Amino acid sequence: MSVETDFLRIQGSVAPWVSGSRTAENRLDMDTSAERLVPAVTALRSLSWGYLSAITGFDSGTAAPSDGHIELLYHFCNGPAVATFRVKVPREDPSVPSIGPLVPSAVMYERELAETMGVKVAGLPKKRQFLSDDWPENVYPLRKDFTMESAAATREVGPAVGSEEAPGTFIIPIGPQHPALKEPGHFELAVDGEIVTHADIRLGYVHRGIEKGAEDRSWVHNIYLMERICGICSHIHATAYVLGVESLSGVAVPPRAQTVRTIFCEMERIHSHLLWLGVAAHQAGFDTLFMYSWRDRETIMDLLEELSGNRVNYSVNLLGGVKYDIDGKAADSVRRGLDFLERRTTHYLKIVTTDESFLRRTRGVGAITFDQANLLGTIGPTARASGVSRDLRVEAPYMAYRDFPVRPVLDSRCDLEARFVVRINELFESYRLIREMLDHMPAGELAVPAPRKVPEGEVISRVEAPRGELFYYIRSTGGVKPDRVKVRTPSLCNWAAVLSVAVGHKLADIPMIMVGIDPCFSCNDRSITLRRRGSAESWSWEDLRAYGISYYAGGGA
Amino acid sequence: MSVVLALVALVLFPGGLFVIFGSLAFEYADRKLVARFQNRVGPRWFQPLADLVKLLVKEEIVPVGVNRGLFNGLPLAALAASLTAALYVPMAGIAPAWGFRGDLVVTVYLLMMMTLCIGLAGANTQDRFSLIGSTRALTQLFSYEAPFLLALLGPSIAAGTWRISEVNGYAREHIWMIVTQPLGFLVALIGLMGKLELPPFDAPEAETEIVSGALTEYSGRGLAFFHLGRDVELLVGLTLISAFYLGGLGNPLHFILKTLVLLFVTAGLQSLFARLRIDQTVGLWWRAGAVLALVQLLLLIVLKILGVRL
Repeated sequence: MSVETDFLRIQGSVAPWVSGSRTAENRLDMDTSAERLVPAVTALRSLSWGYLSAITGFDSGTAAPSDGHIELLYHFCNGPAVATFRVKVPREDPSVPSIGPLVPSAVMYERELAETMGVKVAGLPKKRQFLSDDWPENVYPLRKDFTMESAAATREVGPAVGSEEAPGTFIIPIGPQHPALKEPGHFELAVDGEIVTHADIRLGYVHRGIEKGAEDRSWVHNIYLMERICGICSHIHATAYVLGVESLSGVAVPPRAQTVRTIFCEMERIHSHLLWLGVAAHQAGFDTLFMYSWRDRETIMDLLEELSGNRVNYSVNLLGGVKYDIDGKAADSVRRGLDFLERRTTHYLKIVTTDESFLRRTRGVGAITFDQANLLGTIGPTARASGVSRDLRVEAPYMAYRDFPVRPVLDSRCDLEARFVVRINELFESYRLIREMLDHMPAGELAVPAPRKVPEGEVISRVEAPRGELFYYIRSTGGVKPDRVKVRTPSLCNWAAVLSVAVGHKLADIPMIMVGIDPCFSCNDRSITLRRRGSAESWSWEDLRAYGISYYAGGGA
Repeated sequence: MSVVLALVALVLFPGGLFVIFGSLAFEYADRKLVARFQNRVGPRWFQPLADLVKLLVKEEIVPVGVNRGLFNGLPLAALAASLTAALYVPMAGIAPAWGFRGDLVVTVYLLMMMTLCIGLAGANTQDRFSLIGSTRALTQLFSYEAPFLLALLGPSIAAGTWRISEVNGYAREHIWMIVTQPLGFLVALIGLMGKLELPPFDAPEAETEIVSGALTEYSGRGLAFFHLGRDVELLVGLTLISAFYLGGLGNPLHFILKTLVLLFVTAGLQSLFARLRIDQTVGLWWRAGAVLALVQLLLLIVLKILGVRL
């Protein structure tokens, strides 16, 4: 069924609750109101169309507190198509009902709205997820009237993080600092003996204010800022951002540049999947596989360094193109590296599908059924391991994926083993893609000039990161800086699925189930000011920069 | 004079210092082997000693809500039990420093003290990871202990004595018991890995779930003693198994060769498998380990009654 007929069907069924709708290429915008939001979403859900991809909020006002609106955008996606409900609420008293009962994965997004935008979402759990516990009440960083001074106050908090223990339950706290977690996050697992009876999560330990920071930087600066959202999938963030900005300003990027970008995307996927393989093996106590897969991962890291000079933040993208070319000599060393990795990957596939002791930890464990994966809005390899075909490279090809089609990797076994098999098979697909792109690299320019100012408008940019669909919403008011950059990272979508399947499993399986979605906390958290506990002191960017210079001038002492 | 000799045996050789430094050397060999199997560089030769010294001089933090006496006493008890056990085995291939009829049973009990102390130490603190870890350690104790004991019983039944030095002597004069009792050897070796909580039986201290298990709250001296005690237990266990199953220990060369071969095998097993969940460990021991050991034992008794010479 084509996107147009889908949109007509949607428009038909939500018509009573929508006051106006517009369509553009792959976009359907529907205006509704806070009162009519729930029935509108119910109507959409009854069509079984798509999944909730993100909720974006932006403040259309200026610094004066009493004027303007906060606009909430509920983006539902299905393949290339995005259907958006737009809800305008007054900035004075913004409140909407929660759609959590209809769409379980909405709760995280609504929590983010409540904390950063100050939207009162009726029926949402009060527990903070993103901002720190001592962040002052009623200060919302993504509002336009936010000032650094207002964030200087602190809120009184009790000594313990997390909820009260009910009598008769035994809660195992995992994190924020825990050997199983390479990044800070907090989980509370209520256990009965070894069986988990309840799982809860607290995010936000690495909330860095990147979305707010983006509003204060030029379009070009932001490429580098976005690249630093994640330390693993850095390139894909910058790519999603530049694709959005280029489409807003109507810049046509030369095919060679698109291909180079795509090659880097796939190399990043290889490095991310190999990293995941090692971490997941370590969670199962299989350190030998961990050591070997990370040793082999060095191959791809060295190649990335050879191509770009950097191992992590490759800084490949420009607005309008790329910085680095991949010439014959570099292409040859990439091919050699891939040959080696392909041999190793064949070996790893054999291990994860035949090693008896490892299969005892993965086969039949942590199953997310097809229906659960669909309903809970899981994405990326996690969804594909449950047979849900969600891969933007296949469904909505962008960049060089248009000319070099991707074969989707699916598995319908739903368990942890399937998640291993899907990711490893995706490695083979990446090797094939990179080889094809290197063999048929289009000739031509690497970059074209892009304007400093970006025309007014908004754009949604969706790309397939190693962990799943990465969603960017970029809004410009025609200036040299963006008005709003909203990032919804893949990990955020998959928590709902993890928390719901964790219950009933043994404690020993939990680290593997959690890592099974390849969570990335840095990505999750993003957005705030730097503060020291107790001193209520906030640092401006200039202060920080000056401090950094003086710190290193003194030899880092 | 005999008092001096006894003191030397207790403090210097073959007990005491010799066992401590010997077990540190074995820890090094174990770590280095596992590291090489995993394609890592591994530690330098003095690393276990450096770790021990570092832990000994570190500040020991006693958490709130523990029984201080137990908290400080348990590591000592664990170490003392392992060191005592070392006196009853043919350490370094020479005759045991001490022995009496039935010392095999005492040695097995002394070797069990370690796990018991770890379990109590975990239960003594209020830390959740420790509590779960000590539950797991004790659960695991109940699963491998019986098969391990049965596996050591096999050679002693064959030799017709419960005295370690006599079993050792019997083993030296007869065909290696790994040949006549392969099942028992397998159970004994894997039982030792379970005892020492080596991978894949490291669920009681699975760092990705419960940090350090029962010893999470230990730092400094207590931790050093527990680690050292475990090293000594590794050495004693390997000595015991090679004395029983690998044709006995008659001289230091025997000792080094045979225990190192065993260590090589256990290091290989450590790096081959993913960690077993505690329910899988218990299942494995009762479904396979105990059955194998019993089959071996029954065969042995039947053959003994039939008068077949082993």
